[in-house]
Amino acid sequence: MPRCTINGVEIEVKEGTTIIQAMMAHQQRIAHYCWHPGLSVAGVCRLCMVEIEGNPRLQIACNTVITEGMKINNTSEKVKEAVKWGLDFHLINHPLDCPICDQAGECGLQEQYMEFGKYDPEMAEPKQKKRKVVDLGPRVVLDSERCILCSRCVRFTDEVSKSYELGIFNRGDRSEIGTHAGKTLDNKYSLNTVDICPVGALTSRDFRFRQRVWYLKDQNTICNGCSTGCHIKVYFNKEGFFRVKPVYNAEVNGYWMCDEGRDIYRFANKENRWQQGWYRVDGNIVELKPAELAQKIQSLVTSQSAFVVTGQFTCEELDRAIGMFVKKVGASNVFHWQNEPERWNDFDGILLRGDRNPNTRGLLEVFQKLQINTHWDQLIQKLQQGMIETLIVAAPEGVTWYPDFKEKLSIFSKAKNLIWLQSVKRKEVEELPHKSLYVIPLKSYVEKNGTFINYAGLRQSFKAVTTVLHETLTLDQALGLMLGSWEGLIPVTQNASGVTANAMTLVETERPKDRVLNETRKRNEFIFQRGRL
Amino acid sequence: MKAEPKNFPQSGASSAGVGMWYLTGILGGLKITLTHLLRNLFFKKKRITLNYPEEKYTYSPRFKGNHVLTVKKDGSLRCTACMLCATACPAECITIVAAEHDDPRVEKYPIKYEIDMLRCVFCGFCEEACPVDAIRMGPEWQTPDLADGNFIYDIKRLAYRPQLKGGVLSVVDDEERHQAGI
Ligand code: SF4
Ligand code: SF4
Ligand code: SF4
Ligand code: SF4
Ligand code: FES
Repeated sequence: MPRCTINGVEIEVKEGTTIIQAMMAHQQRIAHYCWHPGLSVAGVCRLCMVEIEGNPRLQIACNTVITEGMKINNTSEKVKEAVKWGLDFHLINHPLDCPICDQAGECGLQEQYMEFGKYDPEMAEPKQKKRKVVDLGPRVVLDSERCILCSRCVRFTDEVSKSYELGIFNRGDRSEIGTHAGKTLDNKYSLNTVDICPVGALTSRDFRFRQRVWYLKDQNTICNGCSTGCHIKVYFNKEGFFRVKPVYNAEVNGYWMCDEGRDIYRFANKENRWQQGWYRVDGNIVELKPAELAQKIQSLVTSQSAFVVTGQFTCEELDRAIGMFVKKVGASNVFHWQNEPERWNDFDGILLRGDRNPNTRGLLEVFQKLQINTHWDQLIQKLQQGMIETLIVAAPEGVTWYPDFKEKLSIFSKAKNLIWLQSVKRKEVEELPHKSLYVIPLKSYVEKNGTFINYAGLRQSFKAVTTVLHETLTLDQALGLMLGSWEGLIPVTQNASGVTANAMTLVETERPKDRVLNETRKRNEFIFQRGRL
Repeated sequence: MKAEPKNFPQSGASSAGVGMWYLTGILGGLKITLTHLLRNLFFKKKRITLNYPEEKYTYSPRFKGNHVLTVKKDGSLRCTACMLCATACPAECITIVAAEHDDPRVEKYPIKYEIDMLRCVFCGFCEEACPVDAIRMGPEWQTPDLADGNFIYDIKRLAYRPQLKGGVLSVVDDEERHQAGI
């Protein structure tokens, strides 16, 4: 194991470690564009210059392997000068249209310029004009003037997605990124190129111009798009959720995530949710607070009830909700709604799995614990025989992954009373001509704490990001209120604001989550500092 | 309740000079009033008071009044919807919604630009923040309205109100910049 000194700190590294890897591992700052820990080394941006003692010339840190006794620094004047003028070369043809560039605020060029540059450009030549706003594919837009030709995106399509769509064409200052003849950048992982592009050359069609990044806060959570359970970061502000990006996790997703998973923020936004619980009286919709509605229908849940669940809820919710139901009604009336189980073992070789439920394993564990071994056919049989009076359905959030949604809905509507628990608003449910339908909105996955167990049995806990709709319930709260066994429920005659409530109220034991969390606030301090004189 | 200060000189006290102590002040005040009266009577031009609203004061060109959004040569809005003004604004009274323009050379433009004039503190930070001279603080300030009036100015009012006679031209022109090789 070679030992070396980096910026005066002596460290020991594994055989074959490059300087940049060692520096990254020891929280040392180093400018770099083309090196990405998840891709091969290209060594084209020449920004990661370091000075090695005994070496007359500066070396690039990304392609130099550490040997015994190396003395490395990247803080000397010589290095700073080199980075500064390297940056000048990158900026020769760069349009610097930061005002309309989506990357502004998280751009590598801006960052390095503030750290090393701060000079006036010295090129007298006019800038080379290239193509702007090129649709590379359905999800990615290219601005080739802003591209610094780091080749990260090309290496991504070659090495990770293995779809080989991108290449660098032409020579010299006319070089630009493009797709090979007859191809478009259309693979299941294409938006990762936007994440890794250090500048604003690749932008996401979906996110383009919707927000400036400094208006967004972020929080880590787990993707609920499939059973892989990628670590993700959702970006939001008071107007809603705007985008999703992957977070590095060696065990699960590495540096990447799939494009489909990036769409899951949508259904958590207000406009796609039922704000209140509702039911119909003589064709007119009556709205009620979710908690009140859940208590109102207590009498409907008899021993003739059945409970249909999906693997889209957290372990904690499922454990408590099913536990309560089994206690009251019985284990033979809980059923697992499986979407396309024949595809569950599919795997695309990178991340995406056929089982589009984040917590099927968790659900099966709960079933095992409570000794539930029912079969779907039993439910259908019972429904046909009219043996089920009330059917409670914990419907999925990711309805897109449920092609059988409509078909199942018509099966469910055979029950005399249908209690529908779902976090997203669905037209199909609203249009259902069922006489006794009760809809209770639930919290979405970004609004609750919990645990998902992924396909490999890895337990991953996550925290609530924010609250979009205060009054919605979690699955266990909804079930608890319906079964009358929820402990968080106490009779309240006067709540905190002095208003007298005549119903039993769900008492909030925690601070509302949509108040900005302290940790988020710290990380986004600059947002809150603006305007302070 | 009466509270008599202890050391206050009483009228009719020992000396007459002390009894007339307030006259100097009164006469001084009368002198000032009279000077102003006479000056205003005989030197009309030097008068400070204006007969508002018939007469109006002209402020210096640097005065920070109601905002103006400038336009390009073709009459479209100069603003690129970069939101730097909204970011700099301490009153957080600027609301911008950006959209993609059909012309790739324009790329981004605001479909909604609103300033809440009642929240604005007329600091001029927006003007300073704008990289393309798209927003300026104009000379107008007398814009009263009734209680149900609209003080949230939209693009139509900010850029194309009749007083601006078709819009104020921005000094930053994309074509010229491109030709200069920037
Ligand atoms: S890539 Fe960076 S430097 Fe270039 S225009 Fe965009 S934000 Fe500005
Ligand atoms: S488009 Fe972005 S990632 Fe690709 S080469 Fe250019 S700068 Fe690098
Ligand atoms: S003048 Fe100041 S307060 Fe008013 S809009 Fe501009 S930045 Fe905001
Ligand atoms: S007025 Fe200027 S600063 Fe404000 S969004 Fe438009 S271009 Fe940007
Ligand atoms: S990061 Fe080393 S050359 Fe680009």
